[in-house]
Amino acid sequence: MSRPTASTSSIEGEPLRPTASAAKAREPMNVLIVGVGGQGVIMVSKALASLAQSKGYQVKQSEVHGMAKRGGTVFSHVRFGPQVWSPTIPKGEADILVALEWAEGLRWLPFLKAETGIFICDTKRIVPPFACLNRRPGAPLRYSRETPAEVRAHVAEGYAIDATRMAEELGNERAANVVLIGALSTALEFSAADWEQALAQFVPKKTIAVNLDAFRLGRNWIEEERTAVDDAEAPLAHIPAPAAAPYNVRLEITPAWCKSCDICVKLCPERCLRLNQERIVELAQPEKCTGCRLCELLCPDFAIRVHLDAVAKEVAAMPGAKA
Amino acid sequence: MNAADKALSPKAAVHLISGNHACALGAIAAGCRFFAGYPITPSSEVAERLSRMLPEVGGVFVQMEDEIASIAAVIGASMGGVKALTATSGPGFSLKQENIGYAAGAEIPCVIVNVMRGGPSTGMPTRPAQGDIMQARWGSHGDYPIIALAPASVREIYDETIRAFDLAETYRTPVVLLYDQVIAQLTETVDLGDTEGLMRAERKWASGPREAYQPYASGDDGIPAMSRPGAGYRVHTTGLNHAENGFPTQNPEAVARNLGRLLAKFDRHHDTIDSWQTLSCDDAEVLIVAIGISARAAARALDIARARGVRAGLFRPITLWPFPEKALREAAAKARAVLVPEMNAGQLSLEVERILGGKRVDAIHRYNGDPITPAEIAQRAEALAKEKK
Amino acid sequence: MIVDSAPAFDVRDYLRLEMMPHFLCPGCGHGIALRALLWAIHELGIDKDKLAVVSGIGCAGRLSAYIDANTFHVTHGRPLAYATGLALARPDLHVVVITGDGDCLAIGGNHLIHACRRNLKLTCLMLNNEVYGMTGGQVSPTTSESRLTTTTPLGNSEPNFDACALAAAAGASFVGREVTHHVPKLKELIRAGLEHPGFAFVEVLSDCTEIFGRKNELGSSAEMVLRQKSELRPSAYRDTVDTPFRSNDLPTGILTKTERPEYGMAYRKAAAAQRANTAARASAGVNERKA
Repeated sequence: MSRPTASTSSIEGEPLRPTASAAKAREPMNVLIVGVGGQGVIMVSKALASLAQSKGYQVKQSEVHGMAKRGGTVFSHVRFGPQVWSPTIPKGEADILVALEWAEGLRWLPFLKAETGIFICDTKRIVPPFACLNRRPGAPLRYSRETPAEVRAHVAEGYAIDATRMAEELGNERAANVVLIGALSTALEFSAADWEQALAQFVPKKTIAVNLDAFRLGRNWIEEERTAVDDAEAPLAHIPAPAAAPYNVRLEITPAWCKSCDICVKLCPERCLRLNQERIVELAQPEKCTGCRLCELLCPDFAIRVHLDAVAKEVAAMPGAKA
Repeated sequence: MNAADKALSPKAAVHLISGNHACALGAIAAGCRFFAGYPITPSSEVAERLSRMLPEVGGVFVQMEDEIASIAAVIGASMGGVKALTATSGPGFSLKQENIGYAAGAEIPCVIVNVMRGGPSTGMPTRPAQGDIMQARWGSHGDYPIIALAPASVREIYDETIRAFDLAETYRTPVVLLYDQVIAQLTETVDLGDTEGLMRAERKWASGPREAYQPYASGDDGIPAMSRPGAGYRVHTTGLNHAENGFPTQNPEAVARNLGRLLAKFDRHHDTIDSWQTLSCDDAEVLIVAIGISARAAARALDIARARGVRAGLFRPITLWPFPEKALREAAAKARAVLVPEMNAGQLSLEVERILGGKRVDAIHRYNGDPITPAEIAQRAEALAKEKK
Repeated sequence: MIVDSAPAFDVRDYLRLEMMPHFLCPGCGHGIALRALLWAIHELGIDKDKLAVVSGIGCAGRLSAYIDANTFHVTHGRPLAYATGLALARPDLHVVVITGDGDCLAIGGNHLIHACRRNLKLTCLMLNNEVYGMTGGQVSPTTSESRLTTTTPLGNSEPNFDACALAAAAGASFVGREVTHHVPKLKELIRAGLEHPGFAFVEVLSDCTEIFGRKNELGSSAEMVLRQKSELRPSAYRDTVDTPFRSNDLPTGILTKTERPEYGMAYRKAAAAQRANTAARASAGVNERKA
């Protein structure tokens, strides 16, 4: 990111005089953008940082994406103002929290200013791998149960926006982050035209049109939401339902072929096998078995055959599985 | 058209060809459609001829990376159901022995031409010898049966090559065609028009349901039917001692039963396997027993000896292994002495001594690369005739 | 790890059940390799009647007896040579060779390099367990440096072969390597080898648990299988990891794939041309005589 003029050559040097309304605050504007890997968190923060810098602010952007395998958590702190010292936003100091994923949004809520903080959150729900308590198909998932209404009650100003669906309707699900930028833009001082110019630099050329549409959609949505009389909340996005197990797992063991090598017992990811008194493999904890077939594949003696028996549909709907 | 092409035409009957060429022609006539070999003097002409002839008849010729690979590929092709041949000489014959044993044990038909040259080791590649008689019988380890044929003329090489395939296919066995360098590279006028009497045997193939098929079941004649890959039998073939079902076994009874059947495989079939020639044996006081180039010299020696008043006869085994014992005993019945001229240090004479018990057996052993002359044989026959007087 | 064809594939459909259980030691990786081979055969829909498996001598060589196909357990080191004859004589058959590191690289090394050069359609599955297991654990051409065997009581000081590099250098048009721990990947590799229109050399890094593992204190069967994962670098990591996990690190996956004329096809084409030429000359000769 190039510096706009020579006068900002030093971090601690005399900052440029902020333009227009932004000058009223001595304190920096703190925007926290969070999501999971692959959603475009960094792109949102870069667009914002670039725009702020182009308007003469000192900007600090600090991100963590080292763990951001697809599905891993990603967050970015953007601070801008006449003078910014610390690169990160302290707890309770974020002016705006933009979340691209519902649970990530909730995770970062403590960073929001209690009295004035604005919470803009996609209702998109991505269940992280570590939320799987049990790999058995149909096992319940651990995921936040808070509804948008409950969350809004805890923040000064909250918006639950189904940005992913909106972007989908525009024809590109990946533009969901730009829908959120549209929503974010209404809370900041920069003009729509400036935003659109900044965005055009950060999205692939082929997708400029759809991203500009996404920006406008998000911006309009939040304007309407602000003026809306009724308090109807956006529905939470559909979670890929914990698949109701379409089958029961059954292990067929040929005891005469088992040579007690113990490979299946030691390599079973669920540790649900054991050698019995005759040192022949048996399924000790059938409720844990996911039917992954690792035992069958690694048995050098062909002594294990995993059957996934189809179950009747009414049984398949697992009791307790979240809809 | 070269000579090989011409010879393929049944109308062209009379040819001037070498022994190795006759072998190639005989192989094609017998239905051989696969050859794998490795260059070695003095057998290379068999490979060279077949490299041109086999593609003409839809067969396959391949020059392998070594002698062992050659016999292995030949057995592999035969396991696929195709009549297959390899040709070599002493050093190569030694290298092939392990796999010849495999073919014998697993009962895979194949034909191995061994053109005998001077030995041991590299020996004399361009000089004749008859030193592989015992190796042809006992070359591989363990007990196994094998057939070896010893033609003595170009025409006989042609006939015996065909018969080698017939015997190999009929009795599921490797067959060694054993002839010496002289006959291999000797060019003679031969008439190939009259081949009516020669068999054209096909392998006994498995038939009937898979469940009832046993790949090494004895059957009526002690020769198990073979299954052709792709015919649905999906059997196992191994060089390990196996039971009737083809799978390895160490059960003493099963091994004795199956190996016993294998070892006795030819016993019931001497009528078709045994082959020999006798000349003037009816009144012979001295019986000459010889093969190959030595037998040709002996045939001439008969005239010389008889002109000098010695009643000499010739017994020439054409099937060398299993040795035509009964025929030899009959031929030697009236003889007072037996003479074995051979181009080695004493191999055929050992077998003759064994078969003829206490009879006087003398031998001419020659291992310097020079063929034994008729005069030498006649002279020794005369000496033998006079011995007891 | 639910793999597409896994639920439908029952290895027992491809085994000679009357021969089971097989004679391999507990934990022997060869059984896993056999499953991967049969799985690949299943996926390709290869007719068992048209499948010919040729194997040599040693633990790997014994595997053919358990496969419900046309199986040939031949002499030590020679399965590639037998298979060459079989495949040339019967191009309608699908010929697979199962061999071990000693069988293939020591006594049969000459056949390997020439099979690579010739490029006849064959799939050669070399199960490398670094040792002559059947004979009690002697050093083999692939035994790692300093490993103990019954004939290297001081630790192996001979350098070992990189079989895949050898095959590639000899001209093999398909070369790949995989560990037994990655069964679906191994199956995919063997499948690619079976589909390859030429000679395919597939090295499977297998474990000799009872003999080599014990002698070198490599832990239980399970530990040995897991070690494959930690000690061997998949080729995908080659560009990103600076230091190999061990000095003789072996890349896995498809290592070489080139297009060269398949020998059997090339031979049959040349033979057909020769026959056409002969026929043309024969008819020309007839015409001359008529004129």
